[in-house]
Amino acid sequence: MSDNNTLLRTENLCVWFPVRRALPFGQKRYVKAVDNVSITIKKGETFGLVGESGCGKSTLANTLLGMQKPTDGKVIFKGQDLNALSNKEFKEARRDMQMIFQDPFSSLDPRWDVYRLISEPMYIRGGYTKEQMEAEVLRLLHLVGLNEDDLHRYPSEFSGGQRQRIGIARAISLHPDFLVCDEPVSALDVSVHAQILNLLMELQQELNMTYLFISHNLAVVKDLCKNLCVMYLGQVMEAGDTQTIFHNPLHPYTRSLLSAVLSVNLDEKRERMVLNGDIPIPIDAPRGCRFCTRCPFASARCFQETPQLTPQGENHLVACHFPGIGMEK
Amino acid sequence: MNELLNVRNLKVIFPTERGIVRAVEGVDLHVKPGECIAIVGESGCGKSVTSLAMMKLLSSPPALMQADEMTFDGKNLLQLSEKQMLDIRGKDMSMIFQDALTALNPVMTIGRQLDEMFMRHTNMTRKEAMSASINALHLVGVPGPERRYFDYPHQLSGGMRQRVLIAMAFAIKPKLIIADEPTTALDVTIQAQVLDVLRKLQKENGTALILITHDLSVVAHMADRVYVMYCGKIVEHAPLRDLFTHPKHPYTQGLLSSVPHLSDESNRFVQIPDNVPSPLKKPSGCYFHTRCAYCTQECKERMPRLTDIGGDRMLRCHHPLGGE
Repeated sequence: MSDNNTLLRTENLCVWFPVRRALPFGQKRYVKAVDNVSITIKKGETFGLVGESGCGKSTLANTLLGMQKPTDGKVIFKGQDLNALSNKEFKEARRDMQMIFQDPFSSLDPRWDVYRLISEPMYIRGGYTKEQMEAEVLRLLHLVGLNEDDLHRYPSEFSGGQRQRIGIARAISLHPDFLVCDEPVSALDVSVHAQILNLLMELQQELNMTYLFISHNLAVVKDLCKNLCVMYLGQVMEAGDTQTIFHNPLHPYTRSLLSAVLSVNLDEKRERMVLNGDIPIPIDAPRGCRFCTRCPFASARCFQETPQLTPQGENHLVACHFPGIGMEK
Repeated sequence: MNELLNVRNLKVIFPTERGIVRAVEGVDLHVKPGECIAIVGESGCGKSVTSLAMMKLLSSPPALMQADEMTFDGKNLLQLSEKQMLDIRGKDMSMIFQDALTALNPVMTIGRQLDEMFMRHTNMTRKEAMSASINALHLVGVPGPERRYFDYPHQLSGGMRQRVLIAMAFAIKPKLIIADEPTTALDVTIQAQVLDVLRKLQKENGTALILITHDLSVVAHMADRVYVMYCGKIVEHAPLRDLFTHPKHPYTQGLLSSVPHLSDESNRFVQIPDNVPSPLKKPSGCYFHTRCAYCTQECKERMPRLTDIGGDRMLRCHHPLGGE
């Protein structure tokens, strides 16, 4: 599996959080935030990770960056197991992986000006003279579409989209190979989405970075990602080539996500499949298929037996006992 | 005369240390009973301030508000005292806020907060209010309302909290509800559920709804008529279908094309260049000229008037799209 094209992969990754027991001798319980997830991210691609709040997307991202220790399984970045590294080696590896956060209002220190915000990673790394650092910050500002007038302004003076640009400049300041974008546009206006997404695409081409793009909106992911992985309650439901999944979604959950995207085309007739209820609390997740409690097509087998990710055609994996059930056509 | 809400020439300004912020500059709008209108625009265009002004919820100072006319259900809102407004708010007009977690009181159960509505505006006893609250929770699709009645806001998920807010807004069956970005904080799947509930209740009760949002795909799902706002001014007003099929203002067109589509095959996202100008330094002439692809000298010098272009449409642009 591990060839030269792979930048990062996980092997049966599990992250379980223990829940405090009601009684000291009660059974130990866990929230299985990430349960047995294996993904492979290739060099230079944008890998999409889609799912509702609480499905484990952000926990998975944190684990990939080593901010969260996995309960079981491995994260292999550039051929080395992240959690087997010494502290010093880990720090080295971590420089190549950076993150853009969802909320540009809370991820930037309001008391720091733009120069200090963007230069902080370089300051921590060390080895820059003052002039070098200044030149580098200016270069980064231009790269993300801001200019030198903004250098000594504070985050409160910027709009949401501009703040996200500052966050992007900070994330790319150490020339990372791998960038995790954790819902980078969902806190922004729809009209600003396009600006930020286009900027990310341009930067990727220019700087040759690999993205993990997390989102709950499939419409955003569609044009951005080559490969896609749909998660629900800590497990992968459907994975594979984006175009294949969009044209032939086989898991009922993927189809409900697709149908939830609202359109501005008034005459467009699409399958409407509004799910009932919320994502369940992942303590003692249901036996059988994780999605069975909300699936409109669930049958007895779905409550008994956990479906495995099985290939359905080329580069398309589905974890469902009845792939494509109830589809029109 | 048959209008439920009529606002003429509403202006709101905030005097600040760095200058006067003209948040709303002469907005006219009207709402008929039972219809759903939408006010659309980016952050900072004054849509939230407009809605707060209509509820008279802006604290003054700092805000200064002025209007030629503001009537609601035959009452002149401008002349009502704060005490009279308290009787109207919640009963005849109510509001659904964007962030349900901050809109709800964290130290009171959601049941008690709902009870408050009934006990303040009707003569119900506590016991009657409780059953009315449980019924209200049931109507918005909260599962197990008898148990949920005793929950605190933090025990509910985002979608459930938004439903509680909707239940609260519809509790006394008001004539008008203002929903300020009701689904922006939610996931797409939950957004679809919440919008369905909102629309169902609106149609069943014949409530007029003012929907405030930056997302035109939500508007397409809900509204009858749309006002597009930019920098404190209305730039276009049209019935839903006309606006979506033939937008006349370049800004409306920009907003429409920035919504990501599932169907088309393009590989780039369509964007409106630049950002909303700072409300302290609004450009000369047409406020949109700095970002407009069709800008001419005239646009830089003179602010276009909001003119009636027929077919229940209004437009503020020197060079409308698709001919005059």
